Amino acid sequence: MTTVETHLFRFLRALHVRGLSVPANKQLDFFAGIETIAPATTGELYWVGSATLVTSEPDHHIYDEVFRKFFGSTLEEADSGAEEDQDDQPTAAPGENEVEDIVVDRAGGSGLAAGGVSPDGAMRFAGTDPRAHELIRQICRELPRAVPATRSRRHRPCGRRRRVDPRATYLESRRTHGEIMRLHWRHRPPRERRLLLLIDVSGSMKQHSPDYLRFAYAVVATCARAEVFTFGTRLTRVTSHLRVPDVDAALSSLARVVLDADGGTVIGASLQAFLDHFESMARGALVLVLSDGLERGDCTAMARATRRLSLLAYQLSWWSPLACDPGYRPLTRGMSAVLADLDSLTGVRDLDTALTAVRGRFARTPTPRRDAHV
Amino acid sequence: MKLLDHATISRQLRDRKYFADAGLLTAVRLSIALGRPLLLEGEPGVGKTRISYVLADALNRELIRLQCYEGIDVSQVLYEWDYPKQLLSLRAAEVERTPVRNLYASEFLLERPLLRSLRSETGAVLLIDEIDRADSEFEAFLLEFLDGFQITIPEAGTVTAAVPPLVVLTSNRTRELHDALKRRCLYHWIPFPDPERERAIVEAQTPGLSARSAARLVRSVNIIRSLGPVKRPGIAEAIAWAQGSLALADEGAEWTEALRASLGLVLKNAEDGALVAAHASEVFADDDR
Repeated sequence: MTTVETHLFRFLRALHVRGLSVPANKQLDFFAGIETIAPATTGELYWVGSATLVTSEPDHHIYDEVFRKFFGSTLEEADSGAEEDQDDQPTAAPGENEVEDIVVDRAGGSGLAAGGVSPDGAMRFAGTDPRAHELIRQICRELPRAVPATRSRRHRPCGRRRRVDPRATYLESRRTHGEIMRLHWRHRPPRERRLLLLIDVSGSMKQHSPDYLRFAYAVVATCARAEVFTFGTRLTRVTSHLRVPDVDAALSSLARVVLDADGGTVIGASLQAFLDHFESMARGALVLVLSDGLERGDCTAMARATRRLSLLAYQLSWWSPLACDPGYRPLTRGMSAVLADLDSLTGVRDLDTALTAVRGRFARTPTPRRDAHV
Repeated sequence: MKLLDHATISRQLRDRKYFADAGLLTAVRLSIALGRPLLLEGEPGVGKTRISYVLADALNRELIRLQCYEGIDVSQVLYEWDYPKQLLSLRAAEVERTPVRNLYASEFLLERPLLRSLRSETGAVLLIDEIDRADSEFEAFLLEFLDGFQITIPEAGTVTAAVPPLVVLTSNRTRELHDALKRRCLYHWIPFPDPERERAIVEAQTPGLSARSAARLVRSVNIIRSLGPVKRPGIAEAIAWAQGSLALADEGAEWTEALRASLGLVLKNAEDGALVAAHASEVFADDDR
């Protein structure tokens, strides 16, 4: 093996160590790519690797970092020699404007208090006790009934006379030598809407977030189209980490990816980061924000993002531990600013109250206006 | 398939008014050389869909577009037997007292995009647009197709591609695609272009636009993007704005006025309109004067 090959293998190994898993067939593609393109500059090598090894935009972070470490140069330097490539360089390496940068920048730039800075603390969870397991099971049972439905685009056979099903009709008519004895029908069955959870994991929610995340686990385990994000000072997508059989395994894997737990809150910027990158997930969905709504500093960003979420979502519900207190009135600046845009504000502080809220079908109040956004 | 060299493909795309950066060119070249599908993501309006049209034209291949939507299923994607026609031919045979013909002959087969892309003699460019809108079952079904480029029709046998199609998938990230699908694809994220490239694009797409006007327009678009609007305008919006403003300017309007008047082509949101109005002096500044 030549030294170049060894270096490339080490590079792949380093990607793996940093958490960008590269399966064997992608590695083969990488080498095949190098063979066919025969990159002459580091810049060309960068793009070969970028196309073959990376599978999503956030992964570019890791790739860029490891690439720089192994091949020693940033993109601009690497390509200054290439012929017409001057203007072919991307202004920024893809992925550079990632969520966390934006959030941190805004936190620093707008003079938000020191609490806006992420402490990079890891989360630790106590094991799930048998009572909680039972509650999770009950929530899983209740969820399918509680999540609102929409009409599926996919037709299914049924007895109701909506639309003739020519395929089934034809197939049956063959038994009777082409004579049609009976028409078959199909319709569009109801389909569960997407359920989107935005969970506050900041310091002020510390005692509630483990149960909130257990609830999120139950949602991901039950609903096919659920998405879960956590936010404190930055937004983290955690759906795939929750999609494992065991609830404790799911929570401990969260500890590795959610790095802003138990710190400050920047609700407005986090919701805005969600809207910037994943806006279409909220369209027609049931959106649940699990947060106490205690925003630091200026609340206009939070109010604006909530307004936008409310316009996109089928239903926007806010779960707050503070609202469990019967004497609670949403008088803090943040909550009073967003209250008008919420479909419901429910008090939820643990799995018990979450189960009650699910049984109450997320406090759904049928508002015909909302159907316009489907 | 043979590898196209960087300069050639870059020139071919340029000739067709598509200005790709080095990353996209590499991804396209690899996709052609390795026969791998190419998965493109990026903000709306950066040219994810258009690259397929341009590639089809440049490679002299037929473009077949499959627009995905929720609930799309195999009968809309692969093939469908023409049931009414089969029934009629049965009845006709009965009435005319002739023997029944083969009901699974190709005349009764309705080709849908995937099958058509396999049967194309010169090879096709298959665009599977907005794959994230289809449900995940559909994605699983695609895996088989993308692996072997063949389709089995139980009544008629297996169809294999004479020339494998060049497959381009686009996604708007409304949901995470399965790893299994991503693993089989080359991936490229198309960013917003730098001002230089965007100016070239706008000029190429808007004949009659002066270089100076184009530069000002691109500067305005970039400022609007940096203001953090609800919807950041893409290249498609910039082009529409240029064309709209040019039409107004041709009637004698002053360029800044024309830009203001056709603002509705870039901003599709009342909040964004207010935002730009608040920063009007910045957005419409004419620093060349």
